[in-house]
Amino acid sequence: MMRSRTYPQFELQDIIQRFGKRKALQIPHLVLEGGEIYGFVGPNGSGKTTLLYIMNLLLRPTYGEVFFEGKPIYGDTGWRTSAQRKMTMVLQNPYLFNTTVEKNIEYPLKLRGLPKRERLGIVGDILDEVGLAGFEKRGARYLSGGETQLVALARALALSPRVLFLDEPTANVDAKRIHQLENIIAKVNRERSTTVVLTTHNLAQAYRIADRVFSLFEGRLVSPAMHNLFKGAIRTSPEATYFDTGKIRIQIPSEYKDSESGHASVNPDEIILSRKPFVSSARNTFAGVIIQISSGEGKVHLEINSGELFRVEITNQSFREMGLNLGSRVYLTFKATSVHIL
Amino acid sequence: MGYLSEALGTAGRLIFTLDPEILEIVGRSLRISLTATSLASLVGIPLGFLIGSKDFQGKAIVIIIVHTLMALPTVVVGLLGYALLSRQAPLGFLELLFTPRAMVMGEFILSLPIITALTISAVQGVDRRAILTAQTLGAGKIRVAWTALMEARYSLLAAVIAGFGRAASEVGSAMMLGGNIRFYTRTMTTAIALETSKGEFGFALALGLFLLLVVFSVNILLHLFQMRVRVR
Repeated sequence: MMRSRTYPQFELQDIIQRFGKRKALQIPHLVLEGGEIYGFVGPNGSGKTTLLYIMNLLLRPTYGEVFFEGKPIYGDTGWRTSAQRKMTMVLQNPYLFNTTVEKNIEYPLKLRGLPKRERLGIVGDILDEVGLAGFEKRGARYLSGGETQLVALARALALSPRVLFLDEPTANVDAKRIHQLENIIAKVNRERSTTVVLTTHNLAQAYRIADRVFSLFEGRLVSPAMHNLFKGAIRTSPEATYFDTGKIRIQIPSEYKDSESGHASVNPDEIILSRKPFVSSARNTFAGVIIQISSGEGKVHLEINSGELFRVEITNQSFREMGLNLGSRVYLTFKATSVHIL
Repeated sequence: MGYLSEALGTAGRLIFTLDPEILEIVGRSLRISLTATSLASLVGIPLGFLIGSKDFQGKAIVIIIVHTLMALPTVVVGLLGYALLSRQAPLGFLELLFTPRAMVMGEFILSLPIITALTISAVQGVDRRAILTAQTLGAGKIRVAWTALMEARYSLLAAVIAGFGRAASEVGSAMMLGGNIRFYTRTMTTAIALETSKGEFGFALALGLFLLLVVFSVNILLHLFQMRVRVR
């Protein structure tokens, strides 16, 4: 979905975080738009939590600047405080204060000076929303792992934050609750336009929930493990079977027509790039514009916007011969069998 | 054994008839030790919080000193107080010696290290996530500190009770700074010491039982209070 915003919600510029001599995080540039769900994937120690702490303004990076809604955070104390009040985080191992569920959820509302009646109304609504109606007077220390996670999420949501950070939200939750939590996260994002930034070590989960997935490895953003991954649904017409992302329709082999999968990926190596429409037996052809060019491992990586964002890899030689530039109009062609339904 | 049963009998009679002099002594003891404990809590809890939560050079030494002061002999406090407050002493002009105020000062000095030391360990025992959570929910520095103290409230209560126990039960400084003056500075402990030396075991035993009863009641009250304290 395109949103008309002057500034991205978050912009990280030349961030370096050191712990002693160890460089825990190094991010030259990262932009997060409001209202989206972002997933950061990576193994333990890859810097995911550090990145969340920096974005939640709990940790000032050793170097670099964080911009929130276009304004730098470190340079203006007032802006930092008001930015901090627009975001909140649920820790990986959420901590509930040693009191009732109600008092836990009330806590941030009390900090903001809401009157008692209003606070209790919000507590009731939010408990309903996370499926824990009637838990008000329960002792927070007597809840199961899944319930603890839900109460912590409810406490964060009570604030109606613009940005919600979730550090491994389902790490300590049983399978039954994972689905519930994922649904709540999606609903909050959809209904309140809350930007959600979550970390997980579960790649499938990241792709299931997030609009955009970033991979972190040893403190650096690396290419996602899967490229050209799309969310959507499989549709059939008399002529063909499609994977419909809501923006484009990708033809896929008919054997998938009964599949209920919501994810499809296209291998960047199997996409043919051309300046003019390419005549072939391949079923999928999309016109697009080059929006990013980078090189590495002897290849040129192109990001092409053709309704959905595609990543294509070509050789340095082809890149030169085709005379490609940012903004060049190109065609992407690939076979139905190049599409993998996940 | 005869004198013991006689003493028990006297004690029982004094307690059940609510002997006015005993009540007066109990009342004064409570006033003095509760005042001393309150003052020591007002200073000791914030002090313990600062020492426990901040990292600074020499922190270990400070903690060792506070722990050492927990074992401060009561007569030493009495002696030092006497040396400072007697007529020719530097603080003699305050005319505090042999007054309840001097006794409060002595008991304050005795319970302060206990309350401070137990607050330090209570604060160090607070889960770091409690502080992070308060921060992520938008709490400022003072609110974060308050939340941490509230999370440690059971341990803080134990610190205050231990401080009160020390103040209520000590005899050395109360005797030396208060002088055990009848109807003015006589407390349960100084009266017990005096009556025992006079051979009045019944009176002493009655006061001893009252002392236990008082400490027991104060503990119950503090526990009831603690049940009402919630995270704010």
